[in-house]
Formats: sequence, C-alpha cells, structure tokens
Amino acid sequence: MTIVLTGLASGAVYALVAIGYNIVFLSQKTFNFAQASLMMLGTFVAYVGVAVYGLPWWLVTIIAGILIGAVAALQEFVGIRFVSEHFNLLVTTLGASIIMEGVAQLIWGGEPRPVPFVLGNDVLDFLGGRVYPVEIVLVIVAVLLVVALTQYAKRSMTGIALLGMSEDSEAAQLRGVNVKRFAFAAFVFTGVLAGLMGTLIGPKTYAVATLGVALAIKGFVVLAIGGFGSMWGILVGGAVVGLTESLSARWIGGDFANLSVFFILIIILMVKPTGLFARVRERTV
Amino acid sequence: MLDVHNLQSGYGDLKVVWDVSLSVRPGEITVLLGRNGAGKTTTLRAIMGLNRVMGGSVSFEGAALDKVATHDRVVKGISYVQEGKRIFRELSVEQNLLLGGFSRGKKKRELLAELQEIYSLFAILDEKQHLPAASLSGGQQQMLAIGQALMAKPKLLILDEPSQGLAPVIVKEVLDQIHNLKSTGIGILLVEQDVRDSVAIADQVSVIEMGRTALSGAAKDVTYEQIQDAYFGKAA
Amino acid sequence: MASLWLKVRAIPGWVWPLLFAVILIVIPFVGAPYPIVRQIELTIMLALIVSGVNLSFGYAGELALGQVAMYAAGAYTAGLVSKAGQTDLLIQLGAGALAALAVGFISGVPGLRLGGWSLAMSSFFLILLVPDVLSLFKEQTGGRNGMSGIQQATLFGNPIDSETYYVVILVVALLWFAVMRNLIVSRYGTALKVMKRSPVLASSIGISVYQTKLSAYAIGAIPAGLAGVLFANLDRFLSPEAFAFSFAMTVLASSILGGPASIYGAIVGAFILQFGMNQSTTFQEWGLVFTGLFLLVGGVAFGGGLSGFARSLVRRADKAARAQLGHEPPVVEAGAIEKRDGSVLEAKNVSKAFGGNQALSDVSVVAKPGQVTAIIGPNGSGKTTLLNVVSGFYRTDSGTIAIDGEEVQGLAADKVARAGVSRTFQTPYVPAKLTVHEAVEAGRYGRDRSTLLSAILRLPSYWRISKADRVEADRSLALVGLNDARDEMADSLPLGNRRLLEVARSLVGSPKVLLLDEVASGLDEDEIEILADLILKLRDAGLTVVLVEHNFRLVLRLADVIYVLAEGKVMAHGNPDEIENNPRVMEEYLGVTPEDDSQKKGR
Repeated sequence: MTIVLTGLASGAVYALVAIGYNIVFLSQKTFNFAQASLMMLGTFVAYVGVAVYGLPWWLVTIIAGILIGAVAALQEFVGIRFVSEHFNLLVTTLGASIIMEGVAQLIWGGEPRPVPFVLGNDVLDFLGGRVYPVEIVLVIVAVLLVVALTQYAKRSMTGIALLGMSEDSEAAQLRGVNVKRFAFAAFVFTGVLAGLMGTLIGPKTYAVATLGVALAIKGFVVLAIGGFGSMWGILVGGAVVGLTESLSARWIGGDFANLSVFFILIIILMVKPTGLFARVRERTV
Repeated sequence: MLDVHNLQSGYGDLKVVWDVSLSVRPGEITVLLGRNGAGKTTTLRAIMGLNRVMGGSVSFEGAALDKVATHDRVVKGISYVQEGKRIFRELSVEQNLLLGGFSRGKKKRELLAELQEIYSLFAILDEKQHLPAASLSGGQQQMLAIGQALMAKPKLLILDEPSQGLAPVIVKEVLDQIHNLKSTGIGILLVEQDVRDSVAIADQVSVIEMGRTALSGAAKDVTYEQIQDAYFGKAA
Repeated sequence: MASLWLKVRAIPGWVWPLLFAVILIVIPFVGAPYPIVRQIELTIMLALIVSGVNLSFGYAGELALGQVAMYAAGAYTAGLVSKAGQTDLLIQLGAGALAALAVGFISGVPGLRLGGWSLAMSSFFLILLVPDVLSLFKEQTGGRNGMSGIQQATLFGNPIDSETYYVVILVVALLWFAVMRNLIVSRYGTALKVMKRSPVLASSIGISVYQTKLSAYAIGAIPAGLAGVLFANLDRFLSPEAFAFSFAMTVLASSILGGPASIYGAIVGAFILQFGMNQSTTFQEWGLVFTGLFLLVGGVAFGGGLSGFARSLVRRADKAARAQLGHEPPVVEAGAIEKRDGSVLEAKNVSKAFGGNQALSDVSVVAKPGQVTAIIGPNGSGKTTLLNVVSGFYRTDSGTIAIDGEEVQGLAADKVARAGVSRTFQTPYVPAKLTVHEAVEAGRYGRDRSTLLSAILRLPSYWRISKADRVEADRSLALVGLNDARDEMADSLPLGNRRLLEVARSLVGSPKVLLLDEVASGLDEDEIEILADLILKLRDAGLTVVLVEHNFRLVLRLADVIYVLAEGKVMAHGNPDEIENNPRVMEEYLGVTPEDDSQKKGR
C-alpha cells in the first residue's frame, strides 16, 4: 500500500507538470520543455524562503508564484515570441531549461536541498500504508486543480475564449479574442502555477538542479498517455506513470523503474499516438 | 460605412486580388458575386485583416483599417461569418453564442440574457443549447454561425456564402432573415454563389472576375445578362 | 581582386577541409602541449557525433538525439570487445559502428513514424535510460561505477601509442567527413534538402520519404558509434556520466552553433563548445548556462548557424565578383523541343469520400497524348481531390487509374511519380539552400536510380548519372526561359518564376503525363502568356498535359478537351466550344437556370 501511495504522489507531481504543458499547448500549440525547470526553480524559491529564511509558507508560495511567473514571461519574450518554426521552439525551450538548470547549479550547487513541508515532515499511517503528509496533499491538489481548471474553462468567458482559441485560433480572432495576449497570459500563468507549487513539490522531490529534465520527460509521458489537451486524461496518465514507476521499482528492481515507464510510453505512442483521451477531431482535407 | 478602393491582396506573395473596389452603406445589402477562385473570400479576408493588403485601401466609418489588428476590427463593429460554417465544434451552442459576444467585453451574465434574441430568430438553437455544436446539422450550424456574429451587435455584417451546402428551403429562410436585418441599420456585405436569390435582396451588386471588379452598380440597374457576362470575363 | 576571388573559388571545395585536417595532424609533432592535443581529440570525437546529428536533424529534419545512446553503444561495445581479448582497433570500429547502427534502426523504425515532439522526447528518454541499462548489465559493463580494464588498442598487431592514436582519430574523422561530403554533395543530399522543405514535394518527385529519413537517421548512427570506440580507447575507462543528458545538450548546441544543415559546421561547433567550455574553471561552472544560451540564441536567431552565415557571405562575394567581371551564364540552346512520348491517362469510375463528404463520385476522365485536357469546376467540385488521387497522395475508394493500361491506383505518391506522372502544386514548393539549377535537377530523382554506395565512392555510374542530371536540367531551364537565373537561390525567385521553375522541374524527368495544378493563378498577363506558349509547345511535342484551372479564358484557349466537375461528378465534357455554350455549365456557376434567365432579361 505504501508503494501505491508513493506512486500516486509521484504521479501527482508528473501530472502537475503535464497540466502546465497542457495549458501552453492549448493556448498556442507549443510544447514548453522548460515547464518542469520552472517548477524546479519554484522548489528552490521554496527552499530559500522556508528552509533558509524561515518565512511563513503562504508568503513564500506567493513570492514564488510571482517570481517564477516573471521568469516565464521572460522566457516567452526571449525564446518563444519571435521564434518562427516549430522546430526551433523545441530547441529554444530546451535551451531555456538548460539555462535554468545551470543557474540553479551555479547558485546552489548539485546537492539536493530539503524543503520542509508546512503540514509536517513525519511519516503518517494512512489507509494501511506509510506516507508523508505532503504526498497526500499532492494528490488532492492535483485533482482539485484539474477540477478547478476544467470548470473555469467551461464557465468563464476567458475560459471559453481559451477553449475556442485552442480549437481554431483564426475563428477566435474573428470573435474579438486577442489571441496573442491570451497566449502570453496563459504562458505566464503556467509560470505562476509552477512557482506556487514550489512549496508543495519541493518537500517531495527536494530542490535539486537536475530535477527539471527528469520531470520534463516523465511529464511528457503523462501527456502522451492522457492525451494532449485533456485535463482528466492527465490525472489518469499521472497515476499510470507514478504507479508503474514505484511498482516496478519494488517488484522488479530499481533499474527497471525508468525502463518500465519508457516501455509504456512506446506502447502508447505506437498504438494511440494522440493519447487515450484526446478529442479526436475529424480530418477535413 | 465600408469603403474598399483598388484593393490588392493575396497569400504569401501570391496575389489573387488585383483591383477590387466596393462599398457598403448602413441599412443596405451589397452582394459580392463571382466564380470560385475569383477572389471573393480573399477580399473579405483582407477586409478583416487576415490577409496582407498589398495595395489599395480599406476603411471603415471613415478611418483606415491597415494598422488595426483583426480582433480590434471586430471590436470596432465588423463581424465576419466565414464560409464553411466555421463555428467551434467542440463547444456547446451556448458557449459558441457567448463567444460571439466576446468582443463587446460584457460579463457573461449580461450576454446570457441576450441569447434570447438569437433564440427567437433561430428557434432550433434554443433546443440544442447545451449540445456540442458538432452535433448540429449543416443548416443549424450555419444558423449558429450567423447567430454568433449577431451576438457581437455589429455595425457591419460580412457573410461568406451562408447558403453553401444548405437545402433550398433553408436557404430561403436564411436569406429572409438577412433581409430583415436591414431594418436594424446594419450594413451587410454578402458573398453568394446563387445569383438569382441574392440579387433579389441586394441594394448594390459587385462582380469580381480573376481578381478584378468586373461590374459594379445598384441592383436595380443591373441585368442578369450583364452579370453573366462579367462572370465569364466578357466585360461589356 | 574579383578575379583572384573567382580563381580561389574555382578550387574544389573539399581542398580546404583537407588542408585543415593536415594542419591538425601536424600539430602535436610541432611541439603543441599535451592538453591542447587532448582537447583536439575530444573535439574531433564530439564533431563526429554532431555530424551524425546534422544528418538526421539538419538534413533529414528530425530532432532525435539518439546519437548519445549510439555513442554509448559504440563505446561499450569497444570496451567489451577489448576486454574479451580483441584489441584490434579496426575490428572494434567495425563492431562499434554495427552496434550503433543497430540502436539506430531499433529506435528509428518506430521513432520516425512519430516525428515531432514525440520523437524528440522519446530520444531524450533513451538517453536517461543509458545508466539504467548499463546498471542492469552490471557484470559486463561495471554499471554506475564504470568499466575499467580496457586494453590498449592495437593496429595490425602493433600497440598504438598516444601520438599515433591522435593521428588515427584524425584519419577516422577525415574518412567519415569525406563520406558525409560525398553523400551530401550528390542526389541524396539534394533529396534530403527537398524532403526537408516538403515531404509532399519529395514524394511527387519519386523520393520515398520514410526510407530516406530512416537511412539518414541510421547512417547518422555510424559516426557516433565510431566516436564511441575512439573514446573507449582513449582513456580506457568508461563511466555512464560521460553519456548524460547534459552531454546531449552539448552535442545539440554544437550542431546549432555550427549550423545543423552543414557538413563541416559540426567541426566548427564542436571546437567552440569544447575549447570554450574547458578553458577556465569559471567557464566550466557556467558550462550549462552557456550551452543553454547557445541553444536559445541559436533557435531564435541563427537558423543556419555559423556555417550558414559564412555561406551567405561567400555567395554575396561570388555575386559581386561575377557582376564586376561581367560573367555571363552559359548560353544553352533551347532548340526545338524533342518529341516526348506521352501516355494515356485513364481514370475510370473513381470515387473518394472523406468522412461523410463524397468528394468524388464515379468520375471518369481520359487524357490523351498530344492533347491538353482541362479540368474545371467550382470549389468543392473535386478537382484537387482528383489530381491528388491520380498522383497518389490519396487512395481511391473505388475505381481505377491507369497509365497506358497499367493500373496505378493505390500506389504511393513516390511510386506513381516513378511511373511517369509529374505534377506541380498550387503553392510552389521551393526547397531552401538549392540553386535554381539544383532545384530543377532534383526532378530527375525518380529516373536513373543511383545508389548511396556509388555516391559515397564516386563510382563511374555516379558521374554518368550526375552528368545526365545536369544536361537535362540545362535543357529544361532553357525551355521555360529561366536559364539566366540558374545560379540564383531558388527561394529568391518571384512567384511567376517559381511557377516556371516548378514546370521545369516537372519536365526534367521526362514524364509521360504532366499534371498542372492551377499553374496560372497569381500570375500577371505577361507571365500567363509565357506559360500558355510553353503548354502549347509541350502539347505539340506529344506530351499528355492535364490542366486544372480556374482561369476560364485560358482554359478555353488552350484545351482540346474540357471536363467540368461539380459536386464530385463529371457534369459535362467536350471541346471548348461545346462547354462555353453549355447552359448547364452556366447554371452550375451562377445558380441561374436558362428559363429564369430569359424571364428576367431586360429587368
């Protein structure tokens, strides 16, 4: 049971990365490889704020949100706005991600830094397994976030505009939607989200410079399983990846954790490349 | 209200429109005719800022539009119903209509109240409020597209082949609705394939052939023969 | 000055890199300190890997960084072979290359079907897996602790000392770059450039996109494998840390910096990153940041990288020098068009539906040699679908399409092209980085197949086919009147000339059937005249010309037979007179029935 719970918690972290990917993808059909690196920076802000300066967690959370949102805005301006082909976007978001990793390494070195969790750092007994409080909260937050985002998208004017924009950007412009500004806002929002999650993810993963790459790739697997554009699919994908990882580590061997996830990725990509829940759009030629 | 002078436009550096001029006055219907590939849709897209203008001018209510972004043109009061029923298929009918009113910057509550006006025009949409737009038939989707454009309470309504793919009976209904809109003071620019029915409701007629205005004048002064000749390049 | 420049430019391009290689080889023997020598060795190995990336990313257009895994495969294979007792370097190089090739095929076959982000991310994952896989085979590979105990390499029985090893590394690299150069400066390279611009265009010339991409990806595995073997024998110790993700980023940054679509850019990029990164300790700490910056800036601004920049400078100098000296392009006699044997194209009862939309219903069209057959109709009538079905881009649901009686429906586009069907596209696809002449030559790809091996080794068959390509392209260019522009970059031509370029390209393979897709659209009157003349000339020479057009006047002028399509069906066909006066055609376009017409006359 412990394994299951740990797996779900890891899955929740990957799902949070995938949610960020999704929002940017929906708003401008771009995949931001640096999403996970933004989250990594968020964990460091959390580390500095909570562990080093001892500030109250809600303050640190807000500061992190603002700071990382600013970093995201900078990334958008420098590395996305003026980039012409889709190809080059992969390269620039990779570059941004590596720069962030490099900066983190410069400032804090390579050792993982522990980030204390506001609701306690001691193991609990829960549903027959032993978990850390942060792990329970992670799963809850991931689910709540998906619920909140899907409801907002369906009900608010901004949300409807975003959904329309992701389906047909030109048609949205013709309804008066400033597509460029919306895309920018969505991008910065994912940065803010990444920052806000710092105090939640940090305690689970530790603040470490190399976090970005591993999360980026696993987050992508979540997206591949759940389907580009589907929020609920992300929760399913997150659970699958997290559980695969922890179960195979326990029952087959530590080395097989990544291999098993890779195996699942390849199967999904071969069988249903758009993901299990992606909305299948009719092709008109 | 809308003045297009010697417009040149196209895609990339492919020039499709070489010299088109037309105008729309408030409360009047201007019909734009021509064969496919003649440049009608290209002209409309240039008016909306979706295509690059390579020459000539487009002005709305006296002000030139060249530096105005597409979404701002919508906010200024021009609503464009693209050909091919381009609504948001994955959103519900209600969401589609609400999005139509987006350009007015109003709160959702206020827009919801206005939906009734659209439902009174197109009753079928009321029944299918919460269904995804993809589930509507072709004719219903076209009505949704028009309803969407009307939610923006435009001053100028541009319709690109609203009757395409619709049964003749529905076409009649749609054109009747369009004709009725004149009384609200809206200017209407209508592009159509069916010459007979559209000229019947028009005030001004303009024919484009191979990217140039081949014939232009008041509907009552133009004969079908003249239109036919213009269509096939036999200019008088 | 100008004539000196042109004389220098007349020296074959490969002389300069060769010179550079010779200089490098000599360096340790003139007293360069060991650290520099070692940096050069590392740079050359990095350049080999980057070169592989250039082939699959820069030329074939797929971002997959599997090269690092191939590098690891080569290295560990060499290590295992060496520990097993086989220290001969040549054998290890062979084994390493094979291992890398295997990784290339295994990851390429499924991977290339994905493309885009999915392929890239999967390849990143592959890199992450390297330490895990090594750890699984801990016994043989030493797992995370690394593999030690690799024996000193030998060549023909003699151990290789470190000075000689340096030369060996350079020679291996030299041979690889020669192979790569011979590949790129050949039809294969042109095919890659065409494919990168547009897979659709490539298929229409007879290039199988999937096969070409896979071959580029697989061939790009070889230098990575070779580099791995060389690396294993350099320090005789392998650690998984050398194959980390950050290394993959260094590889990518080198590629972008030097220019992904270039042969020697790999060397430039590798030098900058290797020497730059290792100079000062502070640079080392900032290593990641700089790599990231190179990637970021490269993706935003660079495009062609340093080599692309250098190339454009050279081209500008060429142009200036030629202009100064008043060089004229060679005059090629257009001559009379020789007889071309067109084939009969027959589409019978062709139907095609997309989802619920019946685009073509039982359409039958016959196009004969020595005739211009025009297909007209309103939008949505199925003209473009018909063209796409004939040229193999769509499959028919039912019906047959035959060329001189041989059925071609169901064949992939590249096979249809090779069967003698040539086409142009509404929006001309013009490949980047090719001159007008090269772009036209590309059209001959489907004729005269020449193998990769003959290109690499520059066998006589390669030269023979190359010459034929050149001669035919000359003729084609003269025919359309573009001879003066032969050395211009193809994508710098204005639209009208690009259309002519497309026609020239479609003619160069001596097609039996020519499909022209709205070739007159967007042209002004003069340009249409030139085009019309050309079409008539081709018809008179016996070619089968099929014209899909909106320009009614032009069609009436040029066509011998006209088919009118409406809503997916053939609604009329006949000669121009018959069609012009056919009341149903009018009705289709205007929505006016003849009775209404007479009633409303004089309104």
